[in-house]
Amino acid sequence: MKNYEVVYIFDTQVPEDRINEKLERYHALLAGEAGGEITATDHWGRRQLTYPIRRSAAGYYVVVQFRTEPRALPEFERLLKLDEELLRYLVVLHEGEPTAPMSIATKADRRRDDDEDDDEGPLIPTVGEEV
Amino acid sequence: MPRPAKACPLCESGIRQVNYKDESTLRRFVTEQGKILPRRMTGMCARHQRQTTTAVKRARYLALLQFVKGYAD
Repeated sequence: MKNYEVVYIFDTQVPEDRINEKLERYHALLAGEAGGEITATDHWGRRQLTYPIRRSAAGYYVVVQFRTEPRALPEFERLLKLDEELLRYLVVLHEGEPTAPMSIATKADRRRDDDEDDDEGPLIPTVGEEV
Repeated sequence: MPRPAKACPLCESGIRQVNYKDESTLRRFVTEQGKILPRRMTGMCARHQRQTTTAVKRARYLALLQFVKGYAD
C-alpha cells in the first residue's frame, strides 16, 4: 500500500453533482477491490488557470489523498485519460507528513493579510537578499 | 574574503517538504517571467532546491504557475 495524492481539474461547465458522481466512480476503483481507502478530499472549487487549457480560462480543482495498491493505478489513470470533462489530472506519491490539502479558501485569507504579520512563524526572507 | 555560508531559507522556516499546491510560496522562487531561480539566488540547500524545482514543475502542469509570462492574454 502506498500513499498517493491526485489533483483533478474539471471543466467548469460540469455541474458539481456530476463531478461528485464521477469522483465516486473513480474512487471505487482505488478503494473497492484494491483494498485501499480515501483519506482526504478537498474541493478547491472554481479557480482561474494561469494559462488556458483546451480554451478554458478556469477549472474546478479537487485534491484527493488516498492509499491503495500500486496495481490499482493503471486502470484508474486509464479512465481519467478517457474523461473529456477532466481538463487535467496529476497523480503523485504523497510522502512525508499527511498534511491537510491546502484549501483555496484559507490561502485566500492568508494572502489578504499583510505579509509581515503572518502568524505562520518565521517567514522566508526575500530571495537574493544579501546577509 | 570568503563570505559566510548563507542559511537555507526553507530550513530556517522549518519547512521539511515543499508543497506544489502552495503556489504563493513557490512564487518567491521563480522570476517574474516564471523561471526557476538558481541556487545562488535562493541560497537554498540542495535538498530544498531540488524539492522546489519539482514542486514548481508540478504547479506549472496544474496551471497554478505559468510556464511563460503573459501567455494567458
